[in-house]
Amino acid sequence: MYADGLNNMPYEGLDFYDIDALLTEEELMIRDMVRDWVDESVIPRIEDSCREGVFPDEWRKEIGEMGILGAPLKGYGCPGLSYVAYGLICQELERGDSGVRSFASVQGSLAMYPIWDFGTEEQKEKYLPRMATGELVGCFGLTEPDYGSNPGDMITRAEDKGGNYVINGAKMWITNGSIADLAVVWAKLDGEIRGFIVEKDDPGFSAPEMKGKHSLKASVTSELVFQDCIIPKDRMLPDVKGLRGPFSCLNNARYGISWGALGAAQSCFNSAKEYALSRIQFGHPIASFQLVQNKLSWMLREITKGQLLAYHLGKKKDDGTWIPEQISLAKMNNVDVSLEIARMARDIHGANGILDEYPVMRHMANLESVKTYEGTHDIHNLIIGRYITGIQSFTREP
Amino acid sequence: MSANLDRGNCFRRGMTVAVLIKQVPDTTAKIGISGGFVDESAVSKWSISPYDEYALEAALQMKEAGRGDLVAITCGPSRASKALTEAAAVGADTLIHIEVDLENLDSIQTQSLLAAAVKRAGSEVVLCGKQAADTNGGSTGPGVARLLGSNFVGMVSEISSDGEGYLADRMGPNGGERVSVPSPCLFAFDKGTSELRRPNVRGIMMAKKKQIEVLSPSDLEVEIGDSTVKLRGHSSPPQKAPGQKFEGADSVAEVVAKLREEANVI
Repeated sequence: MYADGLNNMPYEGLDFYDIDALLTEEELMIRDMVRDWVDESVIPRIEDSCREGVFPDEWRKEIGEMGILGAPLKGYGCPGLSYVAYGLICQELERGDSGVRSFASVQGSLAMYPIWDFGTEEQKEKYLPRMATGELVGCFGLTEPDYGSNPGDMITRAEDKGGNYVINGAKMWITNGSIADLAVVWAKLDGEIRGFIVEKDDPGFSAPEMKGKHSLKASVTSELVFQDCIIPKDRMLPDVKGLRGPFSCLNNARYGISWGALGAAQSCFNSAKEYALSRIQFGHPIASFQLVQNKLSWMLREITKGQLLAYHLGKKKDDGTWIPEQISLAKMNNVDVSLEIARMARDIHGANGILDEYPVMRHMANLESVKTYEGTHDIHNLIIGRYITGIQSFTREP
Repeated sequence: MSANLDRGNCFRRGMTVAVLIKQVPDTTAKIGISGGFVDESAVSKWSISPYDEYALEAALQMKEAGRGDLVAITCGPSRASKALTEAAAVGADTLIHIEVDLENLDSIQTQSLLAAAVKRAGSEVVLCGKQAADTNGGSTGPGVARLLGSNFVGMVSEISSDGEGYLADRMGPNGGERVSVPSPCLFAFDKGTSELRRPNVRGIMMAKKKQIEVLSPSDLEVEIGDSTVKLRGHSSPPQKAPGQKFEGADSVAEVVAKLREEANVI
């Protein structure tokens, strides 16, 4: 009686505009490898991991074994993949859970990238090969309790004490913080923002975990506390000063998020589609009702537009013609629509949508964080507003 | 079984191991029928047949133990080359694609081509799955062994070597058995005991650079002749009868009666 155009088969990914045909064989194989891993290792464990509030260590090992950490970086044990491949990896990881994608984003884009781009040869040799395999975990310390969207006014300070640097201050909302072997920390040295590598056993450094999250529950989020933290002189990243350092890292991570959010959205879309086809009300599947079809159609529409946006941005990343405002647009749009898709999917699931039997409420709660981190939705709007008008609206003259 | 029988791993160094793999619709892919035949263009994902994957894993372990060359051979249309690249991503060294349309070949023709490719590769030990997930024919292993004049062991879960010949473990519902067999030999794999390895980025990037040797029947000097079997059509499996739902304690007697008399499970 009802068309068989949508079915209950295992996950295949939504590809309404045949974007797969634009991907290389290597990109498809890597995408499928990560997709299979998420099906086998993440999805069966994700709800327990959220309930327990842990990021299973097996995931770190297995992600490392796949060789996808620091995906677009070349040399020092990193794979040197295309940015499109990196995006596909993020999409598949976040179909499992935003926390899994966050682990990989932070490791690759926020911890490995600054060492790779701004570090000394010795720093690269020391850290990158072991970070690429997941043996060493990194985190990224920029945000502070009182300085989120406004990192330029950070209060964490580094002092040159002759043979060492001494760091004082605190960072907050740091993904991977408590499981990290090293932190790339941004602090002011003589009033100028510089990057420092702090190792977990450095004196005066601690990383207490933040508890009580309703979102990203399978991801470790921490504070980083520096109380007269002493690090050797050779731990400063020499080749960058000012906000350009952390913002370069964030551009790469935000690009990955623009793909990742669509992974979560596709998980929600799939679940909503299957639920709507099997849920009978008034004697018919709810998928046969126009209001539900309208919702599913809107989801497909926005996912497809987001995919084209992310793919095109990936090609621009690969040929070096991108501008940061394009990344802001992609991160902002794709997270925004994905969150709305997750909410709509929850609605289609009715009361069942709040249960952990379905992935939708988990993705919905995760995406609330994703909307805020790595540049809030509003801040990305202001970045684009500045691009359009030439007038920055972040600060007021005193 | 492995608990009370020691496994040897004295594979001869430098030997060539051949693994025969078939590309089939992924077991999760939806199969549709169009015009009386399976619509291949609608198959969303093609994969290495699952029993062949166990054969491939065993071949990789033999290669690693004996430091030999692993030749992966497939017979099928152009799309089947992806199965070889997937095999290369986990460690196959040499890739041979006999490019033919399997729809027009009968089993003996396919076996003749595969046997010729094995001979060309110079492999004395050949591994394959016990049957393909699409046709479930189960004749490739014994058929190729017959054409090669090789020994044959079927339903294998694990192979090892004592330095002389090969030891094959076969697991059955009533326990396991271990047989020894001299080379040359072909082993057809059931579900193996080893966990299948996952590819990684490095393997995928190496695989991309590997050349696939594409061969026609004439390249292999095989006169395949005409197929003796013609595929006349496919049909979908019968629809399962809908389930029945019972609610409340009052229905217990009825449910028990149905389980006993209709389902025959109690």
